Amino acid sequence: MNNPTTLNKSPRDVRIWLELFWIFLKTNTLTSSGPASVGLLYKDVVGNLMTEAEFVEAVGFSNFLPGSEALKLAMFIGFATGGYIGSVVAVVGAILPPTASMLLVLFLLQDFQNQPWVHGLIQGMVPAVAMLISVAAWKLFKGSKSIEKLPLLIAGLSLIAFMLGAPTPLVLLGGGLLGIFLFR
Amino acid sequence: MGILLSLFWIFLKVNLLSNSGIASVGLLHQEAVGKIISEDQFIQAISISSVLPGSEAEKFAMFIGLRVAGLPGALVALLGASLPPTILMLAVFMVLKRLQREAWLTRFVKGLIPAVAVLMVYVAYGLVASGKNPLNWQVLTISAFSLIAFIFDAPPPLVLIAAGIFGIIFLK
Repeated sequence: MNNPTTLNKSPRDVRIWLELFWIFLKTNTLTSSGPASVGLLYKDVVGNLMTEAEFVEAVGFSNFLPGSEALKLAMFIGFATGGYIGSVVAVVGAILPPTASMLLVLFLLQDFQNQPWVHGLIQGMVPAVAMLISVAAWKLFKGSKSIEKLPLLIAGLSLIAFMLGAPTPLVLLGGGLLGIFLFR
Repeated sequence: MGILLSLFWIFLKVNLLSNSGIASVGLLHQEAVGKIISEDQFIQAISISSVLPGSEAEKFAMFIGLRVAGLPGALVALLGASLPPTILMLAVFMVLKRLQREAWLTRFVKGLIPAVAVLMVYVAYGLVASGKNPLNWQVLTISAFSLIAFIFDAPPPLVLIAAGIFGIIFLK
């Protein structure tokens, strides 16, 4: 599989489309999105469909665009190796596992909705979900390299804006715009 | 028809203005809770999707779309959630690849990150503070244990399930 000559597969090849579909179906069945899925994709894609440099580029681009990581990688890798059809099959492969499993779970859970214990279950989860979000927020904030003054300034301004009841999308847009003008 | 449009618009907006995964939860909460879904449903969406594979954004879209407007709702929400990352990535591939990484876009995202992080903490605080339970010992215990667990990278599904079981026993 790691034969470098396979990198020259034609983007019109049905086998590439099948392979793209299968790779993204598998990755998104075995992992949630994020670093784990990038690791798994790396193993399946590099040396097989793409060079390491191209893959690094895909991950780099996906880091600075909004939206689901899985879909961005599927789009980039699918398009780069299989053209428009390649990107469509890769995206469909990536979307199927989360949506189909959610559909199934909600279908199965329908009868549980009104059980009395479900209320306690949900109420118990509230603080845990709050902590999950907080820790994720901290990791996201710290992940933007060392903590400098500018991110702290933006964080402080956003907090004030939220407390004053400013519309959330506007505050986020404002943070991004401040970033354009203040970061060098 | 109105509900389908607002589902589409909410998920389009959320996936344009936040990164993937749990980071999108802050904006989603502000846009959807109290308007088209309840806080209970929001907590359900997060805990169920923590167990299931694949990208968070699509699982939230599926859950909320289905709950609010059945299968058409799910499809519309899913479309809204999928358009921003795919279209932008295609644009990047075709345009920016030649122009190298646009510096202003990188800086935009760098500025977005602190705002998104603060929003997440703000929403997290609101979840606990405005919950049906006051800040009693049960809530504080769950908070403390799950905070420690997440700091040490415990798997979210296990922590959420443990918290839920604690809730069944101790919270009425």
